[in-house]
Amino acid sequence: MSDWEPKIVSFLCNWCSYGAADLAGVGRMEYPPNIRVIRIPCAGRMSAKFFLAALRQGADGVWVSG
Amino acid sequence: MELIKYPRYVDESKCIACNACAEKCPKKVPSEYDTGLAKRKAIYVPYAQAVPLKYCVDPETCIYILKKRCGACVKKCPTGAVDLEQQEETVALNVGSVILTAGFQPFDPSQFDSYGYAKHPNVVTSMEMERILSASGPTGGHLVRPSDDKEPQKIAWFQCVGSRDLNRCDNSYCSSVCCMYAIKEAVVAKEHAGDGLDCAIFYMDMRTHGKDFERFYDNAREKQGVRFISSRVHTIDPVPNSDDLELRYVDENGDIQKEVFDMVVLSIGLETSAQQRALAKKLGIKLSDNHFCQTATFDPVATSRKGIYVSGAFQGPKDIPQSVIDASAAASAAGEILADARGSQTKAKEIVPETDIIGQRPRIGVFVCKCGINIAGVVDVPAVADYAKTLPYVEYATDNLYSCSQDTQDNMVEIIKKEKLNRIVVAACTPKTHEPLFQESMINAGLNKYLFEMANIRNQDSWVHKNNPELATQKAMDLVRMAVSKVALKEALKESELKINQTAMVVGGGVAGMAAAQSLAQQGYETHIIEKSDHLGGQALNIYKTTSGEDVRSKVKDLIKAIDQDKRVHTHLNTTIAAVDGFVGNFKSTLANADGEYSLEHGVVVMATGGSAFEPDEYEYGNDPRIVTSLQLDKMMMAKDPSLASLQSAVFIQCVGSREPQRPYCSRVCCTHSVHNALELKKLNPDMPIYILHRDVRTYGERELLYKEAREAGVIFIRYELDNKPQVAIKNGAITVNVIDHILGRPLELETDLLTLASAVLPNKANDLAQFFKVPINDDGFFVERHAKLGPVEFATDGVFLCGIAHYPKPLDESIAQGKAAASRAVTLLARKTLHTSGEVAETNPMWCSSCGVCVSICPYSAPTFTEEGPFTGKAQINPVLCKGCGLCVASCRSGAIHLKGFDNDQIFAQIFSLDEAVR
Amino acid sequence: MSKDVIGSVMVVGGGIAGMQSALDLADSGYYVYLVEKGPSIGGVMAQLDKTFPTNDCAM
Repeated sequence: MSDWEPKIVSFLCNWCSYGAADLAGVGRMEYPPNIRVIRIPCAGRMSAKFFLAALRQGADGVWVSG
Repeated sequence: MELIKYPRYVDESKCIACNACAEKCPKKVPSEYDTGLAKRKAIYVPYAQAVPLKYCVDPETCIYILKKRCGACVKKCPTGAVDLEQQEETVALNVGSVILTAGFQPFDPSQFDSYGYAKHPNVVTSMEMERILSASGPTGGHLVRPSDDKEPQKIAWFQCVGSRDLNRCDNSYCSSVCCMYAIKEAVVAKEHAGDGLDCAIFYMDMRTHGKDFERFYDNAREKQGVRFISSRVHTIDPVPNSDDLELRYVDENGDIQKEVFDMVVLSIGLETSAQQRALAKKLGIKLSDNHFCQTATFDPVATSRKGIYVSGAFQGPKDIPQSVIDASAAASAAGEILADARGSQTKAKEIVPETDIIGQRPRIGVFVCKCGINIAGVVDVPAVADYAKTLPYVEYATDNLYSCSQDTQDNMVEIIKKEKLNRIVVAACTPKTHEPLFQESMINAGLNKYLFEMANIRNQDSWVHKNNPELATQKAMDLVRMAVSKVALKEALKESELKINQTAMVVGGGVAGMAAAQSLAQQGYETHIIEKSDHLGGQALNIYKTTSGEDVRSKVKDLIKAIDQDKRVHTHLNTTIAAVDGFVGNFKSTLANADGEYSLEHGVVVMATGGSAFEPDEYEYGNDPRIVTSLQLDKMMMAKDPSLASLQSAVFIQCVGSREPQRPYCSRVCCTHSVHNALELKKLNPDMPIYILHRDVRTYGERELLYKEAREAGVIFIRYELDNKPQVAIKNGAITVNVIDHILGRPLELETDLLTLASAVLPNKANDLAQFFKVPINDDGFFVERHAKLGPVEFATDGVFLCGIAHYPKPLDESIAQGKAAASRAVTLLARKTLHTSGEVAETNPMWCSSCGVCVSICPYSAPTFTEEGPFTGKAQINPVLCKGCGLCVASCRSGAIHLKGFDNDQIFAQIFSLDEAVR
Repeated sequence: MSKDVIGSVMVVGGGIAGMQSALDLADSGYYVYLVEKGPSIGGVMAQLDKTFPTNDCAM
């Protein structure tokens, strides 16, 4: 159980959260590498179909931020 | 102009901001950015978001520059960018105009012994507090006090440190911004620490005279529990055996209070530094007595020297929106004198014809960047490039040391042509900063710039997973695979081009509107002023004198004359707007006057609809001719009414209709107006007793000097509370005003033969216009600008601008500056002549559209509308000029009829479906 | 207007006011020299934490 690492797909708004993720890098912060970011033009672009597709692909969690 | 260019000791074209130099630099010094609360190296970037994001060497601390030893950074730099032998250069420039925005320096309180700033670590300046509260600050946004990192329970703010003070410093003016930032810091501190934190602000007058400031103040006091104490603290004593601080002050009842705080924040003022003064001297520019740049009310951004303009806090202490307004106004002023040379020094770009790729099978090129060791130090870049070659449609893949360098870019152009690539993936840093650069290379190779995708393998991979190279390499491969699958589905997108009508329309012929129109005309644009009354001039015609003593009426008449004589300005009097069609660049307004309706085509519009004085409904107004409003008093002064000189006494009541529950904003101009009028009355009769009954005297900036002058002239200021307003009665032909004296705590009866009510400034009703141009109005009836700080003269709706009292109550100089600023912002649009829409916009498929109207109602930019004619009447269509490509309509379309080019469903699904191993 | 006007402007100071002036002028067709004594632009505003009334990040 303790070895289990969730695989997370995140949809980040180009204008805020995606930029924040870039800044996390500029600040050399560290976080686990089991997250894959998909850039979207605005959180408003997010559709329920994207959640479901990501979960169906095997993602353990979907994170939308914007 | 001759400039000295100080050496940076780092070649900006080579530096890739990898931090290798600073890692090795042995010299640690206090960071200026973090106000000394954190350290930086001698080679450094000031902060993570610095522009340019290039390192520089501090010659005052670098060991090599001081002692010719070390040089570690030179050796460590992977691109050979560091050059510690760089010398100062002199650069000569020929320019048509100069704009001074030299700024201010925060006041240094270490000269005040009584506050012990230099002695007690827990006495900090407001600038230090900003850093302590900042998530990017030295404590990571964790609110702790400097001496022992303890979380404070009680924090005190002292206002007017280095402002409104001639005893301990030379700054008699008000710094304008400190009241608001202190409230903000207190509220933010409470957000960080929770409600248990006790925040107390010690003040003389709370000056929250800006737009929405009063609400923020009310909210801080009533909802957030910030304490406001009207008192100037005279001493801070350290509490023995602790780092706490004991304050002694006199409270509003005159009692001496002692209270212990964990931290004290000094709300330091703004002042002009010696260096800034020297600059003014060098340029031969006159400064005011307070060392701010001297300007005139009707020419608010012009310095004493022709062709040199000023904006920002160098002109006077002011906040961000006012600085931004002045900055645009100064740009306009420079544009007015240089209009003939517009475009003469700028260069046009050469255009490479675009290759048609329709029908071609995707041929994808993948370029994987090492970014020196930034990526390659963690990610196995050659392996990622090799992996890319195995992906479908990838015809070419390689790695580069620095993808962004000019030679790599030139090489990329050659490869695209040679390999006949029609889609490109660059795996490197972030599209936020580098997408435009790579797209430029694609354009140079004749490829549509939308056939592009980036994989972010630096900021979101190598930099954040440096201890996990294997998984970071795997992640890079995943990201490249996802990018490849998306780019294969990308299409060449067209940016439609649209001509911008070169005519401007200004709604409202007051000073703000006239200033905007005059500036637009002088910059070469036909301008139409639409004025509903039968004359230009607006409210300014009712004002007697400016605070510096200029006669307002004659100045306004000069301006009207200049407008009348300018052939490019067309004035439409007695005219209103009946309807508006179109959008940015192509508006068509229907104007109405007594003769009927006619239409005007224009590219931009400036809203300068102004305001008017509130008619008081209290204090016996209307029941006695001796009870007047401020503007009525001005009228008496203009008419040189002989009764004024023979007055026995005069009383002013402030905040009549302002700062009340039904109108919770400060009207900004009334305090200065009353103080100025009181002084005018004193001039007529120095012995006349004059009382100003106020809630806070808000003579912000250098207007404070008028307040000081009034006190010295014997004007008596009495503070009253909202729940204990003055009582006015007319008894036996005499006007009596009863008020509780705040110092004596006793009721006071004043008999007067002139009672002036400083009535609120109301915005003119502009609901129709707001609807026509699709711009918002706030609860108080003022227009809502694009951004309170950074977009104060424009709306979120493109092509629509605002200025003057339509935005918020303001004095003449600020209205004129904002009028010029609106012109400047409008010119940036007009000067383009054509609009290029982004290719990444939404498009409807009318065959699938069910006409439900969700997109029409949900779009914040009013881009979708129902088609009005043709085979698809009633179906939604999206105007690409207005669409910002957010995709809100796409996600909400229940019929799947809307596509967002560049982020279409199939493209995002392609990314999701190619996650593969990444999520298995 | 005199015949020899030069279509360029020097903006002295790279704080919020200087940046806004420079952007407006550049977008209006003038060549702009933005002169700043420090190593980066942004001025004092870049040091601020948040701005009221919206408490937006100042950066």
